[in-house]
Amino acid sequence: MPDQTSETLSRKIERLLPTVVKPGRYVGGELNQVVKPWESVRTHVALVFPDIYDLGQSNLGLALLYDILNQHDDIAAERAFSPWVDMEEALRTTGVPLFSLESKRPLHEFEILGISLPYETVYTNFLNILDLSQVPLFSQDRGAEHPLVVAGGQAVFNPEPVAPFVDAFVIGEGEQALLDVVDAYQAWQAASGNRPALLAQLAAIPGVYVPSLYAVDYHPDGTVQQIEPIHPNASLPVTKRILPELPPPLSRFLVPNVEVVQERVSVEIMRGCTRGCRFCHAGMVNRPIRERPLDEILEALRLGLDRTGYEEVSLLSLSSSDYSQIIPLIEGLRALLCQRQVDISLPSLRIESFSDALMDELQSLSPGGGFTLAPEAGTERLRNVINKPISDADLMDTVRSIFQHGWNSIKLYFMIGHPQETLEDVQAIAGLCRAALLEGRRIVGGRARIHAGISTFIPKPHTPFQWVPFDRLESIQEKIDLLHEGLHGAKIKMTWNRPEASLLEAWLSRGDRRLADVVYHAWRNGARFDAWSEHFNIDCWRQAFEQAQLDPDFYSLRPRNLDEILPWEHIDAGVRKTFLLRDYQWSLEGKIRPDCRGDCYGCGILADFQELRLAAPNGGWKCP
Amino acid sequence: MNEQERITRIRVHYTKGHSLRFTGHLDLQRLWERLLRRSGLPVRYSQGFHPRARLNLASALPLGFISDSELLDFWMDSPLPLEEVQARLAGAALPGLKILSVEAVPLSEDSLQSRMQSSEYQVSFFDPQDLDKLHQKVRDLLETEQIIRQRRKKTYDLRPLILALEAEGHGEADQGLRMRLLAEPGATGRPDEVLDEMGFGSSQVLVRRTHLFLQQDSSRQQ
Repeated sequence: MPDQTSETLSRKIERLLPTVVKPGRYVGGELNQVVKPWESVRTHVALVFPDIYDLGQSNLGLALLYDILNQHDDIAAERAFSPWVDMEEALRTTGVPLFSLESKRPLHEFEILGISLPYETVYTNFLNILDLSQVPLFSQDRGAEHPLVVAGGQAVFNPEPVAPFVDAFVIGEGEQALLDVVDAYQAWQAASGNRPALLAQLAAIPGVYVPSLYAVDYHPDGTVQQIEPIHPNASLPVTKRILPELPPPLSRFLVPNVEVVQERVSVEIMRGCTRGCRFCHAGMVNRPIRERPLDEILEALRLGLDRTGYEEVSLLSLSSSDYSQIIPLIEGLRALLCQRQVDISLPSLRIESFSDALMDELQSLSPGGGFTLAPEAGTERLRNVINKPISDADLMDTVRSIFQHGWNSIKLYFMIGHPQETLEDVQAIAGLCRAALLEGRRIVGGRARIHAGISTFIPKPHTPFQWVPFDRLESIQEKIDLLHEGLHGAKIKMTWNRPEASLLEAWLSRGDRRLADVVYHAWRNGARFDAWSEHFNIDCWRQAFEQAQLDPDFYSLRPRNLDEILPWEHIDAGVRKTFLLRDYQWSLEGKIRPDCRGDCYGCGILADFQELRLAAPNGGWKCP
Repeated sequence: MNEQERITRIRVHYTKGHSLRFTGHLDLQRLWERLLRRSGLPVRYSQGFHPRARLNLASALPLGFISDSELLDFWMDSPLPLEEVQARLAGAALPGLKILSVEAVPLSEDSLQSRMQSSEYQVSFFDPQDLDKLHQKVRDLLETEQIIRQRRKKTYDLRPLILALEAEGHGEADQGLRMRLLAEPGATGRPDEVLDEMGFGSSQVLVRRTHLFLQQDSSRQQ
C-alpha cells in the first residue's frame, strides 16, 4: 500500500517540477546516492538541511552522517532540503508534502528527522520544513505517529531558542550519538512504548538533550533563575559527545547533477583548535584537538577523486597550517595530484604558523589565484584582547612573502565590533589594507589586489566573550562608514555584512527558551531564508519580538552579569565557565593566552574526557 | 607513431534518463568531464591553469526531456581497444546515463554539432487524451502554412522546422505524439514550441528524444 502512495506522490511531483526554477534540486538520483527499498529497512531517517540543495548538498557533516547511517542494513538515510520559495508555493498550492530526494516519500513517513542546524539563521527554514512536511511544529503536539525530531550541529550548543520544536538534541559530535539515538528508537519501537517513554530513553544517552525534561524559571528581570531536570534520566549538565578517535575520513561523496556551491572532495584533516581566539565559537566548542593520520587523509583523497571525478580537493580544519605534518601532507598531495588535473584549496592558514617552506610547497600546487589571511583586528592591542596576537610586522612579512611567491591577490578578513574596540582600531584596518596593497604593488606591480572582508563580531555562547554585549547598530554603521572613507580611492575591494543580519544572529545565538516564541512568530510573519540578503527582513523579527512581548535589546545589548545563570549553562561544551571567565578577565588586561599545544591551561576538556583519551591511545590528541 | 598520430577521437552513443531530466546542457558537460576522469581513460585535456577535457556534444537537450539517443565525441592521447573504452565508460557511468556503444571517428570529420540534421521525439501525456481530437490537432497544425512564433524576442516560422508529426495511441490509454524536427545549426525546432502551439504545457507531458539524424560528413563521401 505505501508504495502506491509514493507512486501517486511521485506523479504529483513530476508535474510540479517543470513549473519551478532549477528543478534538478528536487530529484536526487546522483552518483553515489544510496536508495534502499523502503520495506527492506526498519528505521528511516531523513537528514534535513534547512537551506536549499545547492548549499546543503556541499555540507560535509550531512554527507558524513548519510554515509555512516547507510552503512547499517536496518537503517535508510535519505536527504531533504528547503524548497526554494517558488517550490514552497507549488507545494502549498497543491498540498504535496515535502519529500525526500531518494524515495520521494513525504517526510512525515520517516521515523526520525535529523535536522542539521549549523548556524542560527536557518531556524525559520527549519520550522517551515516541519510545516511543509505536515509535522506539528511543537514537540508537545507530536505523538507516537509522528516522526521523532532530532537536531544537531554547531548552533545547538545553545539549543534553547529552538528547544520547544525539537524532541532531542545531539550536543557535540554526531557520528556515534546519532546511531545511539536510532538504537534507542528501535528498542522503544520493539517495546511499543509511548512518546514520553521514548524521550526518557533518549535522555539517558550521553550527549543527548531532551528539552522537555527540563524546567526553566526566570527572575522578574528576565534573567534565568534556574534550569532544572524534571526526569531522573535528564542529566545536568548535558556534556557534549566527542569521538575519542576520528574515524577514517569520508571518501564516498555524492556528485550532484546540477551545480552546487562546492563540488569537491573535502577531507577534514583535524578537528578542534588550540589557538584559543576569544571570539571563536568553533575554537572553543570543538575541543580537544585531534589530528587524522597522514596516510588516512591521502587515501581518502585518492578514493574520493576516483569515485567522483571531481576536479578539486579541499583540506578542512579550523587552522590547516597547524596540522603537525602539513609539509608532508602537501608533498603527498602533490604526488597524488600530479597525474590528475586537480585544483586544491587549503583554507584557514594562520599567519604565525606560516613558513617559507610551506609557502614554497603551496606555490607548487596552486599557482595564481588568491590567498586569504585573517588578522581579525586592526591593531596589535586589539589583537591581544581577542587573543590573536600577531604583530603588524609579522603580518606584513607574510603579505610580502605571499606576493613574492607569485600570488597577486590577498583577501584580509577583519571583524568590527570587538569588545574594547575604538575607532582608532577600526581606522587601523584601513591602514593595514593600504600598507598590504603598497607592499603588493612594490612586488608584483599593478596586478596586486587586496580585498577586505569585514564581518561583525557576535558574542557567542561558550566563549570568553559570552558576557559582552553585541555592538549597537549605529556604532557598526559608523565603523563601516569609517572603513569606506579609509579605503576610498585605494582600489581596495571591501565587502561587509549587513549590520541587521548580524543583529539577528546575535539575538538567536544568545537567546533563552522564551526566544522560541519570537522564532515562531517571525516564521508566521513570513521570515524565510534569513541567511539570504534578498529574503532577510528584520521587520518580521521586530514585529515578532512585540508579539512575544520580549525586548530585543535584552538579548543583544545587555552585558550579562558575571554571576548570572546563562541560558545555555546546562550544556557543557567541555570548556568550563571558570576557565572562560578567567580568560575574559585576561582579555580586559590585554593578556594573551598562548597556543595550548605547549602548555595545558586546564580548560576542562581533559578533565571531562580523560578516560576517553586513555582508551584511544592512537586518537591523535594534541593536548599536552 | 608520433604523439599527433596517436590521438584518437571516440564517439559515444548514450542515453539521458529520468534522473538527469533536469540537468541542463552545461551541467551535463561537467558530468561528462567527471565521468571521463573516473574512467581513467587517457582523455585529452586543454592546456593552461584549468585544463578541461575536450568534449563535443551533438545537440543540447531541453531541460525536462529524456533521451534514448545522445551523441558525444571526446579525444584520447593514445588509442585503446574499443571494447575497453566502452567497458571503462560503462564502469564510470552514473544513474540515468547508459553507454550504448562507442566507435572511433576520423579526426578530420566535421563536428557533431555541424552535422546535426534533425531529431525525432516521442511525447507521452500524463493525462488520457481524446485520440480523435489529438489527430485533429495534428492535422490542423500540419495544414497551417506558416506558424509564426516568438522565442527569446525573435520571430520565426515553426512550420518548416516540422518534418513530421503524428498522433499515436490505442483507445483510452497510451496516447502520444511522434515528431521529427529540423535540427540544423540556426534552424532547430523545439518540441515544447510545437506542443505549446497545440495547447499543451510542459507539466502535462514527458518528452523523449528517440533519435538523432546526422548529415553526411563533408570531409568524406560515404
